[in-house]
Amino acid sequence: MKLYIVELSSQELVGAIQLWSLITPVNPASTWGPLIFIFAVSASKEAWDDYHRFLSDKIANEKQVWIVKHGIKKHIQAQEIQVGNIVWLRENDEVPCDLVLLVLLIHKVFAMLRLFKCGKKWTHTLQTAALDGETDLKTRVIPSACVGIDLELLHRMKGVLECPVPDKDIRRFDANMRLFPPFIDNDVCSLTIKNTLLQSCYLRNTEWACGASVYTGNQTKLGMSRGIAEPKLTAMDAMIDKLTGAIFVFQIVVVLVLGVAGNVWKDTEARKQWYVQYPAEAPWYELLVIPLRFELLCSIMIPISIKVSLDLVKGLYAKFIEWDVEMIDQETGTASYAANTAISEDLGQVEYILTDKTGTLTDNKMIFRRCCIGSIFYGNENGDALKDAHLLSAITSGSTDVIRFLTVMAIGNTVIPVRSKAGDIVYKAQSQDEEALVIAAAKLNMVFVGKNANLLEIRFNGLTIHCQNGKIILLSKGADESILPYACAGQQTRTITEAVEHYAQLGLRTLCLAWRELEEDEYLEWLVKFKEASSVLVDREWRIAEVCQRLEHDLYILGVTAIEDRLQDGVPETIETLRKAGINFWMLTGDKQNTAIQIALSCNFISPEPKGQLLLIDGKSEEDVSRSLERVLLTMRNTTSEPKDVAFVIDGWALEIAVKHHRKDFVELAILSRTAICCRVTPSQKAQLVEILKSCDYRTLAIGDGGNDVRMIQQADIGVGISGREGLQAARAADYSIGRFRFLKRLILVHGRYSYNRRAFLSQYSFYKSLLICFIQIFFSFISGVSGTSLFNSVSLMAYNVFYTSVPVLVSVIDKDLSETSVMQHPQILFYCQAGRLLNPSTFAGWFGRSLFHAIVVFVITIHAYANEKSEMEELGMVALSGCIWLQAFVVAQETNSFTVLQHLSIWGNLVGFYVINFLFSAIPSSGMYTIMFRLCSQPSYWITMFLIVGAGMGPIFALKYYRYTYRPSKINILQQAERTGGPIVTIGNIETQPRTMEKEVSPLSITQPKNRSPVYEPLLSESPNATRRSFGPGTPLEFFQSQSRLSSSSGYSRNCKDN
Amino acid sequence: MPSNTASSSSAPAGSADSSASRTKSKRPKYSKFTQQELPACKPILTPGWVILTFLVISVIFIPLGVVSLFASQDVVEIVDRYDNDCVPTPARANKVAYIQGVSDKSCNRTLVVPKKMKQPIYVYYQLENFYQNHRRYVKSRSDSQLRSVKDENQIDACKPEDDVNGRPIVPCGLIAWSLFNDTYTLSKNNQPLTVNKRGIAWKSDREHKFGKNVFPKNFQEGNITGGGRLDANKSLSEQEDLIVWMRTAALPTFRKLYGKIESDLEKGDTIHVTLLNNYNTYSFDGKKKLVLSTTSWLGGKNDFLGIAYLTVGGICFFLALVFTIMYLVKPRRLGDPTYLSWNRVPGGGR
Repeated sequence: MKLYIVELSSQELVGAIQLWSLITPVNPASTWGPLIFIFAVSASKEAWDDYHRFLSDKIANEKQVWIVKHGIKKHIQAQEIQVGNIVWLRENDEVPCDLVLLVLLIHKVFAMLRLFKCGKKWTHTLQTAALDGETDLKTRVIPSACVGIDLELLHRMKGVLECPVPDKDIRRFDANMRLFPPFIDNDVCSLTIKNTLLQSCYLRNTEWACGASVYTGNQTKLGMSRGIAEPKLTAMDAMIDKLTGAIFVFQIVVVLVLGVAGNVWKDTEARKQWYVQYPAEAPWYELLVIPLRFELLCSIMIPISIKVSLDLVKGLYAKFIEWDVEMIDQETGTASYAANTAISEDLGQVEYILTDKTGTLTDNKMIFRRCCIGSIFYGNENGDALKDAHLLSAITSGSTDVIRFLTVMAIGNTVIPVRSKAGDIVYKAQSQDEEALVIAAAKLNMVFVGKNANLLEIRFNGLTIHCQNGKIILLSKGADESILPYACAGQQTRTITEAVEHYAQLGLRTLCLAWRELEEDEYLEWLVKFKEASSVLVDREWRIAEVCQRLEHDLYILGVTAIEDRLQDGVPETIETLRKAGINFWMLTGDKQNTAIQIALSCNFISPEPKGQLLLIDGKSEEDVSRSLERVLLTMRNTTSEPKDVAFVIDGWALEIAVKHHRKDFVELAILSRTAICCRVTPSQKAQLVEILKSCDYRTLAIGDGGNDVRMIQQADIGVGISGREGLQAARAADYSIGRFRFLKRLILVHGRYSYNRRAFLSQYSFYKSLLICFIQIFFSFISGVSGTSLFNSVSLMAYNVFYTSVPVLVSVIDKDLSETSVMQHPQILFYCQAGRLLNPSTFAGWFGRSLFHAIVVFVITIHAYANEKSEMEELGMVALSGCIWLQAFVVAQETNSFTVLQHLSIWGNLVGFYVINFLFSAIPSSGMYTIMFRLCSQPSYWITMFLIVGAGMGPIFALKYYRYTYRPSKINILQQAERTGGPIVTIGNIETQPRTMEKEVSPLSITQPKNRSPVYEPLLSESPNATRRSFGPGTPLEFFQSQSRLSSSSGYSRNCKDN
Repeated sequence: MPSNTASSSSAPAGSADSSASRTKSKRPKYSKFTQQELPACKPILTPGWVILTFLVISVIFIPLGVVSLFASQDVVEIVDRYDNDCVPTPARANKVAYIQGVSDKSCNRTLVVPKKMKQPIYVYYQLENFYQNHRRYVKSRSDSQLRSVKDENQIDACKPEDDVNGRPIVPCGLIAWSLFNDTYTLSKNNQPLTVNKRGIAWKSDREHKFGKNVFPKNFQEGNITGGGRLDANKSLSEQEDLIVWMRTAALPTFRKLYGKIESDLEKGDTIHVTLLNNYNTYSFDGKKKLVLSTTSWLGGKNDFLGIAYLTVGGICFFLALVFTIMYLVKPRRLGDPTYLSWNRVPGGGR
């Protein structure tokens, strides 16, 4: 709220001017008071946060750690650790800085990374954006050079560690270590991230470990990845800024007009008034005095209390989200968390949701379902290969292929078997797929018990080299396109390809397993290259990949595994509801196109034919992409007016070309398309897509669960993270983290919508009440010789904004216009929020008019009822003020949709409070309003006046509201009426969805389509010309011309809605 | 043989551990407030209720208006504008010169009581076009100086009437300096009519705002004399005319209490007023009026409240009528789902 800040500083300026007593119309306290109060509130909030941050910093800094110096262990404080110190850690210790492992009790260490502890209150500054916050165990090994060193030898150890400049990439650490004699030879030993213990991780599964500190303080990986989150500006903030600007201009105009009028009046009238004693001659700057006085009088026109109220209210919204028991993941007990408290109303204005697939829509709970070994399909009959009798008998009979297949499943991975106390083997895996395979293999009697410690373990792209019976065998697993090209020449891969296709259509994740025996020489030769590559400091990953690639040829393809990644509960319903709410969904996934489409179909993302239509954009070259983009765009333009779900599918490669060369077309496509599936996209492309949608002025919400979604989440207007199995990275970078995808529905429709509605009311009301009192002051200036006299005393002015009018409106945070069930049944109602129907210049004009009307009512009634002998300054001021307060109470009451005890308490209690406060002030002899309130309240005419003000002020507004409510009802009103009259809410909208639910039951996931019948989408996706014709449908040429005009009107409509 | 007992849908063994460590995270406490489920009353504007409300308002307001109007009508008020008439005809060409001159300012007025007036009858002077609420004027006073002798030097706010040759003026400031100083002497049917000038100021002002031991000092001794003078031997708390005057009026037309007549006046009584027309309202075309008025429970004569109540009540009745007719002519079922237009627009309103 930039403008707002400007306004605040102009308030300070006003405060400064007020010290000049010549100008000030009121006591300086009336301006300074609220200002000081506001700053005191926000300052104490900051101070409180700072104090806690300080405490937690202090705890972290003064934590005792053991370091080893000259062979002696001693305790120092964490802040005293220097680079090069050797730190000794025990199990379950938190790692104080980034370390390189040197010695440990057993050869493997699992370092458990956990959520970096930062209290909820100060997450903003400590946001560890991309820190891997996973709870999985990560394997850490000591560098090969250090093998064999024990604790006693440690102090004699000397060496050099070459490490790169600190960065925040927690997946890379390309360093070298060289130990000096007497240790080992002078060989350079390469270090990777696997040899490090990163700050804030926990040490597990080992008794102790020693490490040399390489980065400390803010140079650690964690420290580097801390960034100050850029404050996000919500659409509503922007609108309020605009309105504030308009009011500011209005204020300036008023000041100028009144200033000129005041000077004119002074010269024509006031000079005749001897009792005012205007000097005949005055310096030129006297001309400025009256305008400045009016500036001071009108300075309250922009409510400074809005800042305090909004801070409080937004904090409470965030709390409501966190408190919501319906948004707790029952499985893990994770509650939702709002890291960014400032943007909850933006949730109600979301127009595009960009979602990740794996782990977001799906459970990321991998289960091995089917496989194809050789050319035999297992698990096709009952959908579970583990129970397939054929497979079981093949295992018992010891079929070579099956055994090999199982071997690859069991050991071609980085899974760590851990023996639990009961003697069972528990697997710790970083990849859910690998875990599923190992578990499945174990169930099929191929139990993976452990790995030989001497094994050189490298892993790239699922490639593991393994010694068995003196033979060296290359076990390889990976996606079909990375394995099948390297199949040995003689092998027929058609069955494999078919199997992959088949499984992908079922929405299963496929992996191809392959095998090759290596010759001894080949292996040794390769090993040298590999060692060389792995000690390179620059581009190590790439070099290793290149070296590994060399081994992958002439693979014997064993078969295909199919792993099911189930949809999360309620995903289709959530997507359907949110799409009904007018939110467009884009799915961005790194997965295969077919899998992505299948998942999209099964979760209502897209509808199957004939209702839905998929348009594919692909191509490897610029021309191809451009051609298919144009074709899709044309189809899209023609179908916008049809009740058809059209979605486009694009892959990462085509996307890159499209965005690079045909950005304009792509942007148009993005606007036209309600649904899109982008597969094989990289994290940065995800962020790019968000950016494109944002540039079209759409409110975007990105939801994801993994590290690859972090950039997208940070880029979007609202980032939602799912605290899922892929770790907490996404959840940590996000503004909101939720446990399951289906909570998104509640987050947007309930919390986002309420926040928006409430804030719309709150901010407009704040302007209303400030304008009301300002207008009265302006009117009064016309009967006080345009001299800038304040009708109200300083105490009242000060208390007006801070106390009298802020309490009732604060309780609007619990106001609900519609019940949650109604909103869920009629998600379309969200349109009012998306289009900004509740806060825009025209609604604001309504409030402006209302305050003008109320000011006239209060002013006219007051000066007439308290004319002649009653026209005492203090009394008149208090009558006008009480009139305002009474009107406030009724305005809030009228705008409240649901009255709880709290609302009644605050609205009517505030009215009582007003009298109590004023009675107190009236009892102080030295105050200006001594006895005033007692006098007023004992006069019947005071009460009669109040009733008149309320009647005259509220009557017309009430009548207008009733008229609009009954004869020009908004959808919200209709639903309110429907909900509260208790009638059954049957809408055609629900009926309309009936067929869709039917389709869902026969969604492709649960029905196995006959193999020879081509699935609906397939022709649409292929490049063949007849497919294109089919996608247009039989009647297309006719529609083509008909829909031209409709297109322009409908696209205009969608833009208009936004402008409203 | 492989065991098929373990269900394939169960979570992989590895995740049990990690989920257990996450369960520690705080579970929100359930309460009606945190769930935003406080029992709420959700009124809707049904035609019945709205029409009833407007009817009730009009039923309350119209009688109240009538009562207020009667109260106002009961008040007997005699208003006599004298600023013009009390300037001798030859001096009318230049009233300002007359009022600033030294000639005799006395003037006789005769008032006839139109109706029986019950005591207490209040005697007011009414000034019009006099801006007691002008910012320069209203600020020019020192409350602390008025309250106690100690603070007699607190005259900062009083400019330009703060001191005379360095000696502080008590009471200082423009308000006190411009004290109204016309005087009225009343007689009824040639019998003197006492006007009680005690107790005309607010008790609280006499007791707490104006000190008992603060005496006027250096008052009206500057170059220009403003309004009235004060008896230097009477403490400020006894100078009730000053106290009344210093309660500044918020409107340019105002009445201030001059005194009270504590006897009834009969219809047809003639009242002779001998007044000293000292106060200068001529330079700014201000009017001066003498007002004798009784009072009602609503105060003085003021038809505004009564008329306003009748108007508002009438409008409410009218609205009730209109809404009833609208309801009868064009009844509308509340919450009729056919009005939900998104049911007609496929694609959810975008």
